[in-house]
Amino acid sequence: MMVYVVIVTSIAILLIGYIMAMSSKELIRLLISLELMFGAVFLALMPLFTVPNLTTSAFGIAVLTVFTSGGELMILIAAMVTFSKKFRSISTDDILVGGDRI
Amino acid sequence: MTLIAICCFSVIMAFATLFTKDTFYSALYMSITLITIAGMYALNNIQPVFVLITFIFVGAIGAVTVALAAMYRDPRPKLQIDFVWFIPAIITFAVIFNSIFGFNNIPSAFTNSEISVFVEEYVVFVLFFFSLAILLMLAVVKFVRREGV
Repeated sequence: MMVYVVIVTSIAILLIGYIMAMSSKELIRLLISLELMFGAVFLALMPLFTVPNLTTSAFGIAVLTVFTSGGELMILIAAMVTFSKKFRSISTDDILVGGDRI
Repeated sequence: MTLIAICCFSVIMAFATLFTKDTFYSALYMSITLITIAGMYALNNIQPVFVLITFIFVGAIGAVTVALAAMYRDPRPKLQIDFVWFIPAIITFAVIFNSIFGFNNIPSAFTNSEISVFVEEYVVFVLFFFSLAILLMLAVVKFVRREGV
């Protein structure tokens, strides 16, 4: 029962993160939505700890997830600061790809 | 029962993150959501992951996000939700829910004994940590409000 509750919570938080990412007009909100999604991933890992044979592997996956997601978010933060210095804005409307406006 | 309450609280905080107009408070609600997720690990006596999430994820990256949100705060915040995206999100939720609960038999192995051991041994530590996190967030809120005046 408890595992079911954890999984449903994880899916709900993940989808809230998706909606926030799709609707965001600022890069900060995009960053916040990504962190929400990674939080959902951490929550989805919890049922692995309920299986005794998988506890060590689950902990390894958790460590990898923390450091990978942390690195990814730090890169996004650095990109956001650079973007802000260059364009004096953090609006997603100002993002250019190959000279085209998204 | 405690786990269900914490799960509900984390989902409410995630919705608050989505529906808050001000990005700064959105970042604060996001930090609370992540702390409650770490709290679920602590509640089930998985202390190493609790420490990893709280100290590295919330303590470092969450704090940087809150600081950035305070720095780039919009003086006239507005709601940033495209309600059309709720439709594919609900469909996705239904598909994932059906695929997980329709085809797999998930074991429910969380035991009450671990929770009782946790409460006896770590409750002071966890209370101290939550107090510290709340104190840090209050300090940031006070700083931002002082700057805004």
